[in-house]
This record gives sequence, structure tokens and C-alpha cells, in this order.
Amino acid sequence: MRHYEVMVILDPSLDERTVAPSLDTFLNVIRTGGGEVENVEVWGRRRLSFEINKHSEGIYAVLDLRADSDTVKELDRQLSLTESVLRTKVLRRETAKS
Amino acid sequence: MATRGNKGRHRPVGRRSNLLMAAGVTRVDWKDVALLRRFLSDRGKIRSRRVTGLTAPQQRQVAAAIKNAREMAMLPYPSSHR
Repeated sequence: MRHYEVMVILDPSLDERTVAPSLDTFLNVIRTGGGEVENVEVWGRRRLSFEINKHSEGIYAVLDLRADSDTVKELDRQLSLTESVLRTKVLRRETAKS
Repeated sequence: MATRGNKGRHRPVGRRSNLLMAAGVTRVDWKDVALLRRFLSDRGKIRSRRVTGLTAPQQRQVAAAIKNAREMAMLPYPSSHR
């Protein structure tokens, strides 16, 4: 079990209020895989510094997780298969959040 | 005095050699865009150590953080186009 930090950029045409619940359905992957979700932070709409798939804005969300590497990999795979996800990034988080 | 006569002759050439990290940051957070912006030139290039005045480990941390932030479109890549 390790700490991970997952950042997701979502399609800006989504409603920001639906973001947290829809992310939560993805997070079931973590929960069923024996991990735990420590924090979900939706930053909201932000300007991208360059276009991604013709979008100039994106909805940012940061997930703090504790899970096995396979579980996180599966989450990342499912996210990247989703059309409304523009980009994801998974990083190891060495220490607990300060 | 003769032995330390030419000490520091290189120093003031680089523009601002102040340690920005001395402002209480021990571990650079790649999500802190406002901080990382200060290590970019206006063309989006990472400033050199000579300019930032960081230690080598700090410079590496900052560089890695900037590159992570770039991948997530939070910071610009150096722009040659346009």
C-alpha cells in the first residue's frame, strides 16, 4: 500500500456539480481493491496553458489515495478510457500531506 | 589579504542570486503554480541556477516540479511557435 496523488483534467463542458459524484464512481475501483480514498479535491474550471484535444479550459480534480499499485493502475486505465477525461497524472506521494 | 584578494569576483554577474526557497519551502509542490512561475522566464523556459541562486538539489526539485506541472497544462512549454 502506498500513497498516491492522482490529478485528473476533465472536459470543461461537464457541469462542475456533477464532477465529484462521477469521480466517486471511479473511486469504487480503489475501495473494492482494498485501498482508501483520503481526499478528493475539485479545483474547478481552470485555463489550460495550451490546448488539449481542442479544449482551452479544463476541470481539475486532485485525488489523494492509499492503495496498491495495481489498483491505482486500474483506476488510471479506466479514467483514461473515459471520453470526458482529458488527461490524468499519477504520482507517488512520499509523505503525508503537510 | 593577498590570498583572498580575488574572491567573489564572479558573483555579481548573474542578475538576482537570492534564495527564493529560503521563504520556508522545504519540499517543492508541483501544484504550486504561483511559486513555480517565478522560476520560468517570460518565454516559459526554466531559469538557470545562476539566475535562481538555488542549490543543486533544489534546482532539480524545481525543474521536476515544473515539468510535472507542464504535463498537466498548468505551466507553458517554451514556445518556439507563434
